[in-house]
Amino acid sequence: MKAPFLQQKSHKRKTLIFGILLLSLGTVLQLFAADDSGYFSVTGPCNLEFPKDHGSHSGYRTEWWYYTGNVDSENGNRFGFQLTFFRSQLSPAGASRHWPKPASQWRTQHIYLAHAAISDLAGGRHLHAEESSRGALGLAGVALNETRITTVHLKNWYAKIGPENQHLKAATDRFAFDLELIPTKKPILHGEAGYSRKGRASESASCYYSFTRLKTRGSLTLNGKTFAVEGLSWMDHEFSTAPLEPGIVGWDWFSLILSDRTELMVYVLRQKDGTINPASSGTFVDPDGNSRHLTKEEFRVLVLDSWKSPNSEALYPVRWRLSVFPLSMELSIVSNLADQELQTTESTGVTYWEGSVSITGTANDHRIEGQGYVELTGYAKAFDAPM
Amino acid sequence: MRSLVFFLRLFSWFSLRHIGKHWFQAMLVLFGIALGAAVFTSVRLSVHASLRSFTSSMNHIAGRTEKVLARPGGFLPESLVSAIINHPSVRNASPMLSGYVQHFGADKEPFLLIGIDPILDRPFRSWQIAKGKPRKVGMWLDLLKEPYTLILGGALARQYGYAPGEKIKLEHSRQTVDFRIVGVLAPENLALAEGGRLALTDIATFQEFTGLYGKIDRIDLRLQPEQTAENFQNIVSTLPPGVIMSSPSERRESGQAMIRAYQLNLSILSFASLFVGMFLVYSLVALNAASRRHELAILRSTGASARLLFLIFLAQGTVFGLAGWLLAIPISSFLIKYLLHGVSQTISTLFVRVTVEQLSLNSWEIFLSFMVTIFISVLAAYLPAREAMQVSPKEALSIAEHSEQADKPTLRLAGLGIFFIVLVWPLSKLPGYAGVPLPGYIATLLLFTGFAMLSPWILEQLGKALAPKLRRLGGMPAYLAGRYIRGSGNRTAISVGALITAVALFVSLVIMIHSFRQTVQLWAYQTVSGDLFATTKMGEVNQFRYPLSPEVIRTLTTLDAPVDLVPNRRYFLNYGKFPYEFELLDVVTFLRYGSYVWLKGPSETAIHRLISGDGVIVSEVFSNRTGLTVGDLFRAQIETSLVELPILGVVRDYRTQGGVVFYAMPHFKRRFHDPKWGGVRFFLRNRNQNLDAAVVSLRREIIEKCGDQLGMISGKELRQSILKVFDETFAITTILLFIAFVIAALGITTTLAVLVLERTSQLNTLYAVGASFGQIRRMIFWESILMVIAGETAGFLCGLILSYLLVFVINRQSFGWTFLYGLDLKALVFSLPLIILTALMAALPAIRLVFRQPPAMLLRER
Repeated sequence: MKAPFLQQKSHKRKTLIFGILLLSLGTVLQLFAADDSGYFSVTGPCNLEFPKDHGSHSGYRTEWWYYTGNVDSENGNRFGFQLTFFRSQLSPAGASRHWPKPASQWRTQHIYLAHAAISDLAGGRHLHAEESSRGALGLAGVALNETRITTVHLKNWYAKIGPENQHLKAATDRFAFDLELIPTKKPILHGEAGYSRKGRASESASCYYSFTRLKTRGSLTLNGKTFAVEGLSWMDHEFSTAPLEPGIVGWDWFSLILSDRTELMVYVLRQKDGTINPASSGTFVDPDGNSRHLTKEEFRVLVLDSWKSPNSEALYPVRWRLSVFPLSMELSIVSNLADQELQTTESTGVTYWEGSVSITGTANDHRIEGQGYVELTGYAKAFDAPM
Repeated sequence: MRSLVFFLRLFSWFSLRHIGKHWFQAMLVLFGIALGAAVFTSVRLSVHASLRSFTSSMNHIAGRTEKVLARPGGFLPESLVSAIINHPSVRNASPMLSGYVQHFGADKEPFLLIGIDPILDRPFRSWQIAKGKPRKVGMWLDLLKEPYTLILGGALARQYGYAPGEKIKLEHSRQTVDFRIVGVLAPENLALAEGGRLALTDIATFQEFTGLYGKIDRIDLRLQPEQTAENFQNIVSTLPPGVIMSSPSERRESGQAMIRAYQLNLSILSFASLFVGMFLVYSLVALNAASRRHELAILRSTGASARLLFLIFLAQGTVFGLAGWLLAIPISSFLIKYLLHGVSQTISTLFVRVTVEQLSLNSWEIFLSFMVTIFISVLAAYLPAREAMQVSPKEALSIAEHSEQADKPTLRLAGLGIFFIVLVWPLSKLPGYAGVPLPGYIATLLLFTGFAMLSPWILEQLGKALAPKLRRLGGMPAYLAGRYIRGSGNRTAISVGALITAVALFVSLVIMIHSFRQTVQLWAYQTVSGDLFATTKMGEVNQFRYPLSPEVIRTLTTLDAPVDLVPNRRYFLNYGKFPYEFELLDVVTFLRYGSYVWLKGPSETAIHRLISGDGVIVSEVFSNRTGLTVGDLFRAQIETSLVELPILGVVRDYRTQGGVVFYAMPHFKRRFHDPKWGGVRFFLRNRNQNLDAAVVSLRREIIEKCGDQLGMISGKELRQSILKVFDETFAITTILLFIAFVIAALGITTTLAVLVLERTSQLNTLYAVGASFGQIRRMIFWESILMVIAGETAGFLCGLILSYLLVFVINRQSFGWTFLYGLDLKALVFSLPLIILTALMAALPAIRLVFRQPPAMLLRER
């Protein structure tokens, strides 16, 4: 028996899927786009339950687990980090009925992609790596074990989501990190109890929750040198089926962890004509972990400065003024490093900017500061070759 | 600069005009050298095209692979992929399965189907779907999404006329399935492997199609940078038993080495044509030098230095080489059409599978052919040029038509020739180097040179001994011919030398091919015995990697027909870089009907020990190539087992791709692991019935019970096909031999022509003193008979020695095998007179030259 919102239905309309981090997945979705029929659609309240919903939601076309954070080493060096796992479903659940019998162990409906990045703010460099694999033969997948720990893994990169803490591990030939994350607030459900609308139609939506403040501690290795680090991180988990709404060219997503123990998430969906899509919205989390949904009219983002990537020649904003009117919040956001661009030719094929930012400003006339992450997509031309 | 212009002018006046005046001889020489250069160039370009195709195919398939994990003779468990991919020293890993399949109902020419994980494989191999309609981003993902989809290579799509979206029915040993064509590969990178005759599919589809569930052929690896030996060891230590890590270059290099060895063999053979062509250049330049001594002396007396004369004659050789090489271009383009296909087919049959779509012009090969042609032409002109250099200015005052040629003492030359021939013996005992029979080739060259040096003495002796007898036999013309031949010197000898070379090549190749064929025939009837052979469909092209299913085995063992079964399993392995087959078979039943052609150790004890599973027997090729022989220990990793067994005997085997090691199948199963049946050969118990009809009936029963799952061939057909392959392989040799003959015949024509022209006034004087035209022509004819007989006799002797070199030295060093030596008397008895006849026919144009000009005119000129 499926939950009411898990209606299995066919829909042909191109509607806006949501997703901050869908930024990068925008092209992933195109790359992996299949016939719409047969996938589950998000059309109502998500009724999220944990730890079950930390896991994979097979039947929905797209899903991601997104970690970003800022940490400091003992000697005062600051680093930003990102670890993202994407799941893309190739065909609807029923398609497996047509598989040969017996089917090969390699046969699967799921592809996993992952991006990892380090921003060495003191060293002024941004390193990133990517992985991809089919979800078969233990190469990638999501599993919940008997100790209620959900593991999302791709090859030897993983995120473990337990009742008490979370564990991230990624290693590349140039950098690695091994971090333990302890949530200080319960999961925040965005939109209407996790049902986060991204367009006019009811199915133009996703199920979306976040851990907005995760105390982070562990080690980070850069070019063979290992640092003990600690700081704060943010985690998003989201799944959906709907493709992007026509007219959207990209989005700017902000996840800000502020010094007054509040957090703010805002995303702005940019349209071809330069206007902002009405589906743009945000969530404010107070010190006690209560959330407040923010509509497009309740905030404004102004770009103050830009940086041109020498690699992709894309012009990215790197300094913003963010105003949240009901909270009397005026924030100045500036990237900690201009070049935090990712060119993911080996996995999603998307070029985007995902970077560590610093925040200063006021909230209700109180001075605040903070650290966060911003994601910018649609500024560079999407990669258009599978191989 | 001025001196160069002067030289060119002088060369043009002195040499080119003369050549132009005697254009007929010049054209013959040019044609000869061109033919030789064309054969040499076309053979090398053809083999090079195969080599290039093989190398590029291997490189494209290997892609950016640094190391390969595989299990010799077997498969890897697919579970190894996730273990190895997470190894800290491993950067990327990609599993692969590949095998040959065929298009159902089409030409049945198998093509390569590659099963990969397109995502994991991305860092290893590059390929693109060709632009066209329909085209959307991520079309390749259909391979993962949809079972039985593939991307077709361009050559296949063109051949069968398929477009994306259409279905293609493919056959494999297990089943026949419709595949949807997702796209066609753009002609680049991986798509160029196998000449574009390949298709890509998802690894899941490959397993489902072939039934290889849980198995993969190999895992390609890319390692983290700066790996140490310790890291490698660390990877190796984590591997399951029997899995080895090797470099992708190993298989490529072993294949390349085989093709290169073949290229060298053919080059040497084709060089023979060029070598014979060299005699032609020599004879014409030598004639010029000899017949124009008076003019040379005048040149010397008017101030030309000896060096200048030397250079003029050297330049003559160069011009012949250059013009011959240019003339070789159109001849090569014609020849290559025939050679390209034949050579690639031979290489596919003998060594490794190659698909040559088109000829690629290799600048090195063209440069090489140019240099070799020029070099041998200059070399041929060297001695005449030296002679020209020695002309004294005093000779200008001589009234004699020709001053006496300072003929080299024939005895001294013969002594040197015999010394060279004697050297052949110790050289034939030396080992080859890296599969190249260098001592054998040097021995061959010395043999030819030795006989060429011996030929003036032979002619002298022949003339001396035969002249009186010839008078009785053919009257005065024959006597005069004998006398002339006796004193004709080196110039005639050179032409005879060319004939010796051609005849020797002919005789030795006839003997070698005959010995080879007879031995192969014996081997085919004894070792490849059996009335019907059955294996999985496309078993051979897939190296028998897919064993028979238990159901099929059950059916085959319960047939109604009264037959004995000899099951077998063949593993294709490598001993170092040397490829060989490890063949398991039921030795007891096999020996009841067939036998081995023993070379070493055919004792009762050895056979008894083989039957008891106490050891292996190895083929001669395996023994020669690996150095292992009776009493040594054979050691190999075969699937999961490490096999260590003593070698009991060496047998002859002419399987084309390397050597063979035989072992008793039941004992392998007992001592190591179950190898499963790869194929079965059937022996009809009743040998007194109509065997052909019984085989047809047996085949029918198998098809009725097993369907079309098996590939079957009757023993008779198989043995015939082995001999057919043999004959086809030697077709190229025969062509080269024929061309060498044509050139040798040209040599006879040229030599006689120049002898006639040189003696025009002598002949006219003969006429003037009463000889008739007929007598003089008969005299020339007798001269040619003597030359041909001398050439053929010496050539026959030379050929006998050469045949020994070919059978016991060059073949052993090149291919590892020898044969039972046998003279093909019938072929020799029929063909040698035919050669005489052909050579005499070649003399006709020269005879016709006599008295082309009226004698009175010529005498008046003097």
